[in-house]
Amino acid sequence: MSIFVRFWGTRGSIPTPGHKTRTFGGNTSCVELRIDESLFICDGGTGLRELGVELGSKNQQGLEVHMFFSHTHWDHIQGFPFFLPAYAKQNSLIVYDVGKDDDRVHRLLKGQMQTDYFPVNFSELGAKIRSAFLQFEPQLIDGVRVAAFEQAHPGRSFAYSFEKNGTKIVYATDNELDATLLNRDESLRDRRLLRQIPEAFVRFVAGADLLIADGQYTDEEYPGKVGWGHARAKTAVDLAVQAKVKQCAIFHHDPMHADELVDHMIQDCRERAAEFGSDVLIFGAREGLTLKL
Amino acid sequence: MPKSPGEKDRTLDAPTVIGAARVQPGARQTAKPSVLQQIGGPGAPRDHRLDLDEMIVGRSVQVHISIDSGLISRRHIMLRRSGPEYACEDLDSSNGMYLNGVKVHSATLREGDTLQIGDVVFVFREGR
Repeated sequence: MSIFVRFWGTRGSIPTPGHKTRTFGGNTSCVELRIDESLFICDGGTGLRELGVELGSKNQQGLEVHMFFSHTHWDHIQGFPFFLPAYAKQNSLIVYDVGKDDDRVHRLLKGQMQTDYFPVNFSELGAKIRSAFLQFEPQLIDGVRVAAFEQAHPGRSFAYSFEKNGTKIVYATDNELDATLLNRDESLRDRRLLRQIPEAFVRFVAGADLLIADGQYTDEEYPGKVGWGHARAKTAVDLAVQAKVKQCAIFHHDPMHADELVDHMIQDCRERAAEFGSDVLIFGAREGLTLKL
Repeated sequence: MPKSPGEKDRTLDAPTVIGAARVQPGARQTAKPSVLQQIGGPGAPRDHRLDLDEMIVGRSVQVHISIDSGLISRRHIMLRRSGPEYACEDLDSSNGMYLNGVKVHSATLREGDTLQIGDVVFVFREGR
């Protein structure tokens, strides 16, 4: 079995190209999971465009792509109209929604391709694009056990877990973990306290080989961003510690954060994990990085 | 020399000059190349200049950067140039490749990155 995870877009909110973000990257959310021969894509931010170019360059015929969207805010769908495999007749895209018969993702992918927004209409895409529905109970897709979990984010968002032969990856971005903490008020007063994550989410993430987690804000920034739907990076660390994950990629970097600041945040996160006696490996998700699990 | 009537001011044609400056063929050869500074492992300290589009690092004497360490594979990693950048890729080595302490399969290298294979440690210095 082989599992490759590649980060095509790691930035939150809006693309931020430029020399200040060169290391971690300026494209918005997109992660490719290649599990044996199956292709799973998490989110269609602007990073999706380059993934499409890469897939096109390999000249593969009859691609089947399983697409999961945390939600439909711009920074998670804007790459879709530029995703070249969507234009090729021989390809199939399966767009997953969570919940019975709620094809919101599919509808909004179509909606953003109306003439007012984009020159090519969704109906002109050549690929076979169909909706599929995930329930909250895990289901098998190409032999991969996939499950969803509703997160704290304005307008809803979902985390996804992918598991095969004992290897587990959790993609959990756009999640204001801090709003869900069992000791929320205390943890805002005393930042050193372990931030207690609700048990159901800890179980969902438990034992992951890789957790990709929203860690957009510093502790200092967060009080001015409450309700915006994102977590303190150190809260993502506390999730990783409590769920006993092996590696945690801090994801959805703030567009105002230059590479140096993200580096500092990651160092602080590593120190925090060590303070809690955890050996979880924390790193900053970085565009172009590929892990083999 | 005085301009003749109706002659255009040549300084206004500058865009062609700017365009030429941006795409000078061969400019890469005169630029400062990227370097892998070896700071740990057999032979350190020393610098390995990256001047080919593809370079292999390993224990074999037949690779571009050969390092006599029993902890690295004969062909351990590949460095590949793409435009002004280098990317590194693990060639299914026995002990893997670590970028800034994280075991990775491949990555685009950035100034100051630490790359470790076995007991060999490099710092990447980006060319200009």
